[in-house]
Amino acid sequence: MTQAEIKLCSLLLQEHFGEIVEKIGVHLIRTGSQPLRVIAHDTGTSLDQVKKALCVLVQHNLVSYQVHKRGVVEYEAQCSRVLRMLRYPRYIYTTKTLYSDTGELIVEELLLNGKLTMSAVVKKVADRLTETMEDGKTMDYAEVSNTFVRLADTHFVQRCPSVPTTENSDPGPPPPAPTLVINEKDMYLVPKLSLIGKGKRRRSSDEDAAGEPKAKRPKYTTDNKEIFRSLPVGYNISKQVLDQYLTLLADDPLEFVGKSGDSGGGMYVINLHKALASLATATLESVVQERFGSRCARIFRLVLQKKHIEQKQVEDFAMIPAKEAKDMLYKMLSENFMSLQEIPKTPDHAPSRTFYLYTVNILSAARMLLHRCYKSIANLIERRQFETKENKRLLEKSQRVEAIIASMQATGAEEAQLQEIEEMITAPERQQLETLKRNVNKLDASEIQVDETIFLLESYIECTMKRQ
Amino acid sequence: MASRGGGRGRGRGQLTFNVEAVGIGKGDALPPPTLQPSPLFPPLEFRPVPLPSGEEGEYVLALKQELRGAMRQLPYFIRPAVPKRDVERYSDKYQMSGPIDNAIDWNPDWRRLPRELKIRVRKLQKERITILLPKRPPKTTEDKEETIQKLEKKEEEVTSEEDEEKEEEEEKEEEEEEEYDEEEHEEETDYIMSYFDNGEDFGGDSDDNMDEAIY
Repeated sequence: MTQAEIKLCSLLLQEHFGEIVEKIGVHLIRTGSQPLRVIAHDTGTSLDQVKKALCVLVQHNLVSYQVHKRGVVEYEAQCSRVLRMLRYPRYIYTTKTLYSDTGELIVEELLLNGKLTMSAVVKKVADRLTETMEDGKTMDYAEVSNTFVRLADTHFVQRCPSVPTTENSDPGPPPPAPTLVINEKDMYLVPKLSLIGKGKRRRSSDEDAAGEPKAKRPKYTTDNKEIFRSLPVGYNISKQVLDQYLTLLADDPLEFVGKSGDSGGGMYVINLHKALASLATATLESVVQERFGSRCARIFRLVLQKKHIEQKQVEDFAMIPAKEAKDMLYKMLSENFMSLQEIPKTPDHAPSRTFYLYTVNILSAARMLLHRCYKSIANLIERRQFETKENKRLLEKSQRVEAIIASMQATGAEEAQLQEIEEMITAPERQQLETLKRNVNKLDASEIQVDETIFLLESYIECTMKRQ
Repeated sequence: MASRGGGRGRGRGQLTFNVEAVGIGKGDALPPPTLQPSPLFPPLEFRPVPLPSGEEGEYVLALKQELRGAMRQLPYFIRPAVPKRDVERYSDKYQMSGPIDNAIDWNPDWRRLPRELKIRVRKLQKERITILLPKRPPKTTEDKEETIQKLEKKEEEVTSEEDEEKEEEEEKEEEEEEEYDEEEHEEETDYIMSYFDNGEDFGGDSDDNMDEAIY
C-alpha cells in the first residue's frame, strides 16, 4: 500500500466513521494482520474502543477476521475496500437509473449499514418511501421485495457468507470466532420470504421465490444469427443492415468488437481488454494535453504510434522545431509519462555508440497516473476540510438560525419576526457562506470526477495483470 | 570503465557519452542548477477543464453530500470521549452528553462476530433501574412548566429540545457513568479475576487422603 493510498484511506475513514475508527483502520492497513491485544497496545487506545472500532469495521466489510491456532483471532484490513467508499454516490445513482427510487433506496440503506438482512432492508425502505408519498398511501413490502430480488439477480446485491449450522459434535467451548462459509451457488439466491406489508393482511406472495439460478454457460463469442434473434422487437433492422453494422464495428481501429471467424455467418467477440486499453490510453493522452499543451500531446501520440522512436525522428515526424521538441520530450520524461530504452550498438555499451529510444509503457504510465489521482483526491478532501473548519463558526451560526426559523414557522410566527431572525446573518456573512458553499461544491465535484478516472485506470491495470 | 575513469581525469566539463545523441548541441548552455525546492503552487500554464455540470453531476454531488451527512449521524460514527474536566460543573447535566464510552449503540449480529469483540455490561442491570425511577418524575414536570411559560421563546425552545433529548440521554448517561466506574475498576487490576482464589476451597480438597497431615 503506497503512502498516498494510506493517506486517502485515513481521510475517508475519518470523515465517515470518526477518529477512533480511523486510527485503528489505518494501523491495520499499515501493519497487516494482527490480533486484538496487539492492536490495542500498538495504537495506545483502550481495549473497549478498539473493540467498538473493529465491530464497525467488520460490519462494513472493511476488515475481515480469521481464527489462527491456539484460538487467536487476527484482523486484517482491506485497503481497496476503503477506497471504494469514494464510489458510493455513483453506485446509488446507477441503481437509480436502472431500478428507480426503490432500488436506489435499497442500495443506499445497504451501503450505509454495511450488511443487513433482507427483511430489515425492505422494512426501512418501505418506511422511507411511505414518508415521501402522499397522505393515505403506503408503500407495499411486496414491491420492495421484488426490486430486491431483481437487484440480487443482476448481482447488484450479494449474500454475505453465513455461519454454518454445526451438528454439535463438539460440545466443548464455542470457537472464539465463527468461520463463515459461502456456497458459490448461493451468493445470489434470495430466500422465499413472505413479508406482509404495513399491517394490512395480504396473502403471502410467492413471487419473490428466486429458486435455483439457471447455470449460465459463459458466452465468449456470439454468432450472427443469435444476435439477430436477440435484438429487441422494436428495432426493425434487417439482416443485411445488421451485417453491415457488425462489420463496421469490427473494422473500427479501436477494436472494441472483433471478428473471430466466419462460421455461422460470422462470430463476433467483445474485446474488453482492448477496450480498457484504448480508454486508458485516451485518458493518458488527455492528461498530457491538458497539462503540457497540444504540441506535447502531438509528440505523445506520435511516440505511442511508433512505439520506439529516436529523438531526431521525433523532430522530423512531429514537424516541431528541434529545441521545442527536445524540451517537451524531456518534460514528459521527467514526469514519467515516457521512458527511455537503450539499445547498444557495441557489446561494451559505450554511451556514444548507443541508441536512445523514447517509448511509452502504458501500464507503468497508468500506474503513475493512478498514484497521482490518489494524491489529488487526498488533497481535495484536505482542502475541503480546511475550508469547512475555517468557517466553522459561521456555519454553526447559520445552522442555528435555520433551526430557529424552522421552529418558529412551526409554531406560527409573523413575517416581521422571521425577518428579524434572518437579519441575524449580515450581508457580508451571507456572501462568505455563498463562497464557501460554491467552493465546497466544486471540490466535491472534482473528487467525483477524479474517482471516475481512478475507476478506469484500476480496471485497466487489473485486466492487464490478470492476463499476464 | 576505462573511459569513465579517463573522462573524470581529463577534463571536468566532459561527460562520458556523446552529448549530441541526447540532443544538447555544441555550445548550448546547460540550464542552471536548481538550488531550492520547486514552488508550492507553481503558476498554471493551462487552465483546468471545467467540471461536468448538468443534472447527473448535480444529483451525484447532492448524493455525496447527503451520504456524508447521514453517516455522521449513524451509530457507526464513533466520537472520541469528551475529556473529563477538572471540576464537575452544573451545566454538565444539561449539555449533550458525550459519546457513550463503553457500549455500542447498534446491535450487530453477534453470531457473525468474534466473541472477544463483545463488551460485557451485564453487571449493572439492577443499578440502572433503581437510579432511573427518581429521575423521571421531576423531568416531566419541568417540561410542562416550560411549555406553559412562553416568555423567552428562543432560549426555552432550545433548552426544551435539549431536555427531551436529555431524557433519553440521561438514562444512558447514568448507565455510562456507572459502567465506566465498574469497567475502570475491572481493568485497573493487573490480575485476571478468575485466577483469584479466596481460599474457600482449601479445606475440602484433601478429604480423600486422610493419611497425610494437613499443614
